[in-house]
Amino acid sequence: MNNVWVLILGMAVVTYIPRFLPMLLLSKKEISPSFSRWMTYIPVSIFAALVASDIFFWEGSFNLQPTINIKLIPSVIVFLIAYKTKSLLWSMVVGIGGITCLWFLF
Amino acid sequence: MELTDIKSGLKASAPIMITYAALGMACGIVLYDAGISIIGISFMSVLVYAGAGQFLAASMLVLGASIPSVIVMVFFLNLRHILMSASMSTYVKEKSLGFIALFSHVLTDESYGINYTKFREGDWSPEEAMVTSVANYSTWVVSTIVGGVIGSQIQVNTIIMNYALIAMFLYMMVQQFVSKEHLIAGICSIVLTVILTIVLKHNIALVIATVIASFIGYYLEVRKNRHTRPDIKRGEANE
Repeated sequence: MNNVWVLILGMAVVTYIPRFLPMLLLSKKEISPSFSRWMTYIPVSIFAALVASDIFFWEGSFNLQPTINIKLIPSVIVFLIAYKTKSLLWSMVVGIGGITCLWFLF
Repeated sequence: MELTDIKSGLKASAPIMITYAALGMACGIVLYDAGISIIGISFMSVLVYAGAGQFLAASMLVLGASIPSVIVMVFFLNLRHILMSASMSTYVKEKSLGFIALFSHVLTDESYGINYTKFREGDWSPEEAMVTSVANYSTWVVSTIVGGVIGSQIQVNTIIMNYALIAMFLYMMVQQFVSKEHLIAGICSIVLTVILTIVLKHNIALVIATVIASFIGYYLEVRKNRHTRPDIKRGEANE
C-alpha cells in the first residue's frame, strides 16, 4: 500500500490534537470551580458510554437477547463484582471467565 | 523520578499491560491482514497509539475505505479524549511543556481511567501517572509488532479479548458512582448512548451522550446545593 505513510501521519495528527491541546491550554490557568465540578461527571459518563456502546450491541445492531448477545449476562455479573469487591482484577477475571463459558455454550 | 514512582506506577499499570498485550497482538494481526507491513504497524503504534482507532483503521481498510475517510473516523473516535485531556490538566499544570507533550501522547481510555482514579484517591503523582502510561504505551507498541509478526497464522477470538476491555470499563464506571448525581449521570449516558448509536449509527453518539449526561449530573448537583444551602443560592446559580 503506497499511501500507508499518509494514513499513519494523518491518524497521528488527529489523535494527538485532542489529547494534547486541552491538557496544554487548560493547564496554564486556573480552572473555575463550576468547570471542575462539571468535569467530575465526565469520566462516569465516558465509561458508561463506552460500556453501553459495546454491550447492548451484537454484530452492529441493538440486541437484548442474552443467548445471542453473550456480553449481557457477564456484564451484569461484572457490575455486581465491581461494586462488591472494588477489585479490577476480580472484575476482569470473572468477566473473561463468564464470556468464555457463554462463548462455548451458545 | 524516584524508584518508588516506577514501582507504584508499574503496579498500577499491570492489569492494563496484560490486557494491552493480548489486545495489541490481536490488533497487530488484523493490521497485518489489512495490508500494513510490520514496519508500518510499528510506526503506527508509536506515532498514533490508539487501540480503538487502529482496530477501526484495520476493519475499514479491509472494506476498501479511502485513506481520508479512515482519518476522519479516527478523529471522531478520538474526540472523547478532549474531555479526558482537559480533566488531566488539573493534575499536570505544574509540569513542563515536554512532560505534558509526552503525557498527552500516552493518554488512553485505560491509562486515564487508572490515573484519574488514583489522583482522586490522592497519593498519586504526575511521575507515577507517567510511568503507568508509558508502561501501557510500551506494552502496546511491542505487542502490536508481535501481532504483526504472528500475522494471520493464528485465529484469535476477538470477542473474548474485546470483552476484557469492557470488563475494565464496567469496573471503572462503577468506581465513579461516588454520589447519587454521578449514578444518574452514568445511567443517562447509557440510555443516551444506546438511543443515539441506533439513530446516528456513528461513534459520535458517545461524545454527544457523554457531554449531555455530564451536564445533567452537574445540573442536578447545582440544583441540590441550591436546596440544601439556601444562603449561597444566588452565587451557585451565577457560577
